[in-house]
Amino acid sequence: MKGLFINKLTSGYDNTVIVKDLSLNVKPKETLVLMGPSGSGKTTLLLTILGILNPKEGDIFLNEKDISKIPIEGRNIGYLPQDYGLFPHLNVIENVAYGLRVRGVQKDEIKKICEEMLYMVELNGFENKKIQELSGGQRQRVGLARALAINPDLLLLDEPLSNIDQITKLEVATHLKKLFSKLNIPIILVTHNNEDALFLAEKLAILIDGRIEQIGKLKKILTYPKTPLIKRLLRPFGKI
Amino acid sequence: MSSTNFSTRKLIIIIYILAGLLLIFSISTFLYQYIAALGSFKEVIKAFGNDRIITALWLSILSAFATAILALIFGVPLAYFFAMKDFKGKTIIETLAVDVPQTFPPIAEGMIFLLMLGPASPLHVNLAFTFAALVIAKFFISAPFVVSFTARRFREIRKSGINLTSRTLGANKFQVFTTIFVPMSIKDIAAGTSLCWSRAMGELGGSLLFAGVIPYQTEIIPTFIATQAQTLTIEALAATILVTTASTLALVSFKRLTSKEDFEK
Repeated sequence: MKGLFINKLTSGYDNTVIVKDLSLNVKPKETLVLMGPSGSGKTTLLLTILGILNPKEGDIFLNEKDISKIPIEGRNIGYLPQDYGLFPHLNVIENVAYGLRVRGVQKDEIKKICEEMLYMVELNGFENKKIQELSGGQRQRVGLARALAINPDLLLLDEPLSNIDQITKLEVATHLKKLFSKLNIPIILVTHNNEDALFLAEKLAILIDGRIEQIGKLKKILTYPKTPLIKRLLRPFGKI
Repeated sequence: MSSTNFSTRKLIIIIYILAGLLLIFSISTFLYQYIAALGSFKEVIKAFGNDRIITALWLSILSAFATAILALIFGVPLAYFFAMKDFKGKTIIETLAVDVPQTFPPIAEGMIFLLMLGPASPLHVNLAFTFAALVIAKFFISAPFVVSFTARRFREIRKSGINLTSRTLGANKFQVFTTIFVPMSIKDIAAGTSLCWSRAMGELGGSLLFAGVIPYQTEIIPTFIATQAQTLTIEALAATILVTTASTLALVSFKRLTSKEDFEK
């Protein structure tokens, strides 16, 4: 079956266990918002899926392939870090083209894909701009275009709205949601902000202390929160 | 309140006086060679054309360039190693490889090389009193500038996680090195290399002992000055002007290239 399947995953740093016996699956076209307070293991989980951290136990399957032992560069996962991780020495189109260039894709093909990606994130005309000349929202879109240019099997976003100012946040979040609807891959978005989660989630997972406390459709979790803590976490416009 | 303001003003004035004194000391020392040359202007100009001085200058520049190129070839990979690998005893090894050579007494370094790679070498390799000896003596003292400047920048890149982002996009570790670490550190590598070159131009102790002072073969400007200085010859003054001016011009040009905005302000 296509999609991401995580089975009894335990992960962390050196002797510290952060993600504990975690299982979940995300199907293609599905957006899972992973919400939890700071230190709950959200980023650790993303880093383990990416291969930056090695799992202590458990398996990760992507499109029926066990990726646990595959090096980072071989996993074909699109990743947007919290600070977008753009390369400051490259301009917009060079950033978007990076993944294709290191994979040895033909120049004409790179140009075509980059144009498509920049059109998709509504940044056509920005090809030769320096990263330093872009706003926070524009940088985020370059990061997304770059992550999607490699035609990934999975898209991971770490706190994509945390560096966006309050005034443009709604616009950026709406654009994200529109973009997600066009993608045919599983998407995991991590946030600690319930406002962002409520706006973007289709499927929601609440992560507390390295374990998934509740997972399901947003509406269902909002109607039937499993614990008083989850109810409190999801209180509209409250901060965690 | 007003007495506090007065004391603050006085303290600030003292800070500026101290800063001014150091500035005057540094700049006047540099400029004095030119002032001294004014008295014997014609003789100094004539000395610039001295074959022995020209050869010594050529050997100085050539050996400093060879040192800088070798420092780049070996120093950038070592900087990458120190920035990326965490292991037990790393601090001690890094101190020995980077910090110690920069503060090492050059004459002692020359002595060690003479024993290690001289006529009595246990390795049966005798490089003493050759051009290679010049480069080796300069390299030991100067290469750490490339390593320290580059490693500092590489560590910042590693801390930012940009290298890992590039790997998620499909770049292998070598591609990350060539497309992320090196291009993002060009200014730091250039700054370290320019300091390495300048330090190599001025190196004396190691060269004096290990390469010797053979005119037209291993005599460089600093060793020429050292042997001529006791009699304060015009040639020694001309050589001093040549080496300091060449080093300063190179350093200023490099700085201009690497930090354009500072010069444009």
